[in-house]
Amino acid sequence: MNTTSMLSLMLPEIIVALTGGLIIVLDLIWPAAEDSGPDSQPWLAYTGVLGLLLAAASVLSLSGQDATLFEGIILIDPLGAFFKMLFIGIAILVLLLSVGALKTFTKWSAEFYALIVWCTLGHMLLASAGELFTIFLALQLTSLPLIVLIGYAKQDPISGEAALKYLLMVMVSTAVLLYGMSLIYGSLGTSTISEIGTKLAEMNTIGPVVALGLVLLLTGFAFKITAAPFHYWVPDVYEGAPNPVTAFLSVGSKFAGFALALRIIVTGLQVEMNWHLILGLMAALSMTLGNLGAIRQTNIKRMLAYSGIAQAGYLLVGLAALSQEGVGALLFYASAYLFANLAAFGVIIVFATATKSTSIERFSGLSKRSPLLALALAIALLSLGGLPLMAGFMAKFYVFLYAVKAGLVWLVAFGVVNSVISLYYYLRVVWIVYVAEGDPGEIRVPLGAGVAISICVAGVLVLGLYPEPMMQAAQFAASALFGGQ
Amino acid sequence: MTLPQILAFTILVPLAGGVLIAIIPRSLARWARPVAITVSGLTLAMATYLWVSFDGTSSDMQFELIHDWVPGIGTSFHVGVDGLSMPMVFLTALLTVVAIVASSKIKDLVREYFTLLLLLEAGLMGVFVALDMILFYVFWEVVLIPMFFLINIWGGPRRNYAAVKFFIYTLAGSLAMLGGIIALYLSTGAVTFDMLELATDAASLSAATQTAIFVAIAFALAIKVPIVPFHTWLPDAHVEAPTAVSVLLAGVLLKMGSYGFLRLGPQLLPEGFRALVPVISVLAVISIVYGAAVALMQTDLKKLVAYSSVSHMGYVMLGIAAGTTAGVLGASVQMFSHGLIAGMSFLLVGALYERAHTREMGAFGGIAKVTPVLAGTLVFASFASAGLPGMSGFIGEFLVILGSFEPYTWFAALAGLAVVLTAGYLLWMLRRVVFGQLNEERAAMPEMTLTEAIALAPLCIGTIVVGIFPQTLVGTMQASIEAVARIVGR
Repeated sequence: MNTTSMLSLMLPEIIVALTGGLIIVLDLIWPAAEDSGPDSQPWLAYTGVLGLLLAAASVLSLSGQDATLFEGIILIDPLGAFFKMLFIGIAILVLLLSVGALKTFTKWSAEFYALIVWCTLGHMLLASAGELFTIFLALQLTSLPLIVLIGYAKQDPISGEAALKYLLMVMVSTAVLLYGMSLIYGSLGTSTISEIGTKLAEMNTIGPVVALGLVLLLTGFAFKITAAPFHYWVPDVYEGAPNPVTAFLSVGSKFAGFALALRIIVTGLQVEMNWHLILGLMAALSMTLGNLGAIRQTNIKRMLAYSGIAQAGYLLVGLAALSQEGVGALLFYASAYLFANLAAFGVIIVFATATKSTSIERFSGLSKRSPLLALALAIALLSLGGLPLMAGFMAKFYVFLYAVKAGLVWLVAFGVVNSVISLYYYLRVVWIVYVAEGDPGEIRVPLGAGVAISICVAGVLVLGLYPEPMMQAAQFAASALFGGQ
Repeated sequence: MTLPQILAFTILVPLAGGVLIAIIPRSLARWARPVAITVSGLTLAMATYLWVSFDGTSSDMQFELIHDWVPGIGTSFHVGVDGLSMPMVFLTALLTVVAIVASSKIKDLVREYFTLLLLLEAGLMGVFVALDMILFYVFWEVVLIPMFFLINIWGGPRRNYAAVKFFIYTLAGSLAMLGGIIALYLSTGAVTFDMLELATDAASLSAATQTAIFVAIAFALAIKVPIVPFHTWLPDAHVEAPTAVSVLLAGVLLKMGSYGFLRLGPQLLPEGFRALVPVISVLAVISIVYGAAVALMQTDLKKLVAYSSVSHMGYVMLGIAAGTTAGVLGASVQMFSHGLIAGMSFLLVGALYERAHTREMGAFGGIAKVTPVLAGTLVFASFASAGLPGMSGFIGEFLVILGSFEPYTWFAALAGLAVVLTAGYLLWMLRRVVFGQLNEERAAMPEMTLTEAIALAPLCIGTIVVGIFPQTLVGTMQASIEAVARIVGR
């Protein structure tokens, strides 16, 4: 394969990289007027959206391709393509949601949009990285923009605190990850995942060093997907980060962790360990701690942070099944979670822009101030709670079904009980939105946010009522991981 | 439009109507009730037309409609009715209209209220016509959400407690059912959730597997019926729920449970059903006697009707457990009949509460002198509930006792004796509320309004029609019920 055709397979990444640069350059050529505020350049965000749409089109045009580039450093396969579509979708939705909201925390818009786009580039690289040090570099490419984005509200000390906490978390998790990588590289003499798999298969007994290395890698990604017991950073960072960044973090960063974990776990299966139990315990712990934590929250961002920890647990249930079907269910769950969570955050962003508050109490009477926002939030939360007709039900059903099939009945029982607990705090918010008396005054929804929220709500309903196409796409992507078994 | 399409529309029309009411502007909120009446009336017309076109001589599924839904896991949008579900579809449509007519006093959040009522109707319809386990489960859960909000928003003082209790009980049950459904799906190995196909696939399962699965499913059903000891959510929910919601709760929601026993028991998991029958029959008799005994001690009218529901649903379960043609037929008639009678009773209790702002029996007395029509209807409803011959309650309870006499002589005898208890608490209630010394506070109590009369009339008429011409109802159900009884083998 020559360089040109190799690069053509990386066209989506190239487009995304250039899009970020283009946003910066356009801002240099036509800068905003000195006192005009960050909302004067919405077209910069729309440029980003266009670039990302182009990248999505090129991912689709490459779908079905199966190739290994640069000696196994980059893998082009349906699994990567599925994740790339998720990441691009997330970035588009977050850009649309940011347009009207930037004025609440910053004066500078171009850098914000560009960082979102570049962070997405890191996510996409993670989804197709097939080698340990590429994984490390891609992780840095996601983490550095995120640190800046979390601390983007320079006037707000909470934002800075959150950025510092995130930085410390990144440092710790990266150190753990690097240590794990060095142990594996030191014992096996290779850093490409496929070769690691081959070597592990050849060995009769696997030494404790390699096993330790794999566990450390697992720990590194557990930070990223906000799984318990590595979740303590989540509520503070989610609360402190500017709202659009929290939205971005809650799905993009989490899925990036899963993209990375999937490839490593499947390779790690060669090692005789009770992976069912390790992943299952992590899932059970995440669900339980997340849901119990969420019940007590009075700030909706913190509530969704804990809910996100619990949701990571449900996703892990799909992974713990360690089957192609289970991973397919996980991917379907991820897409359902994406729409529901971004719909919820979309409403929060619009609401907080209008009221400067994210306290749950303040959502009282939202149904009278903006019936459509209230409906969108209700649908999103009901979906997160896993009630039928919404995407969340199909997703949970799908994950639990294949977990039972893999013999993890105890874990599914855990998950089911947790779903019930979670309904308490999701429905409480719905109740507050619809029943409680609140402040008067209509809330206007900016165009971009309106479009993004509508897309998310439509996604929740379509995946809930007609899940078949997405399920097939998810299973197809999962089949790539298991060698098309 | 073909008949199967009409059947699908009995779900879709209320659903669309609910959405329509949700999005009409606030300034037009006063139109919510007329629109809701129109939509539910249209649904009732469709249900009536379906019943008229229904062939009662066949035990097969009729008006079947299959549409791919998630072929990957083998679930489809499969609906159809047989003799068991057809009367339930009609009952749902009828009681929804009655409930909406009776909701003239709702002033807060009118659009939300009628939206939820119509969504409830769509969910109930779905439960009764679904022929796919996942579809069934989805509708089963859909019913839960509007009900939760209807009690929680428009209910009485302890509505929050009642709604949460209702929610937790039902959800705990339905999750067990979901577990049962998944277990059934995985153990048959066939990639289908279709009830008719599963019925053949499940036949090869061992009795132990069938029993385990049916226990999980029956748990959800038993909570919904409710069978003692799973009944404690019911009095709370009824006391707090607004009148129209109580009508639907007692009239239709409870029937989801007993209908589920008929639909998922004998035909799907016969061995599991057979294994559980002894337990069900004992609990059914306990429900009958305990419900009546507790009703005897109530001074709150609504609680009295709520506990009488527990007792009456006990007859349904006894008939189902008996498994004879007469028993199951009696159970099915009783389901329909109790829908009418409980609807009437709750409407009347609601009417009394509106006038006196209390449901304590002691606060009434001698109202026959002031409001003869209202009092007369209450007497009528009580006699119907007590199973007076010539009314629908008699047919149902008589057939249940007759049908369970052979397998469970003693239980049938106890159920027969419990009729005396029933007559006891109802007559005692009538003596304190309707007859006797006029309570001066009630001297100016207004007579029944036209709206109330319109809501009550179809239920009264239905009770008499079924009581005098039971063949109208029995003719529809007989073939399907004989098929069930053949499987149970009694």
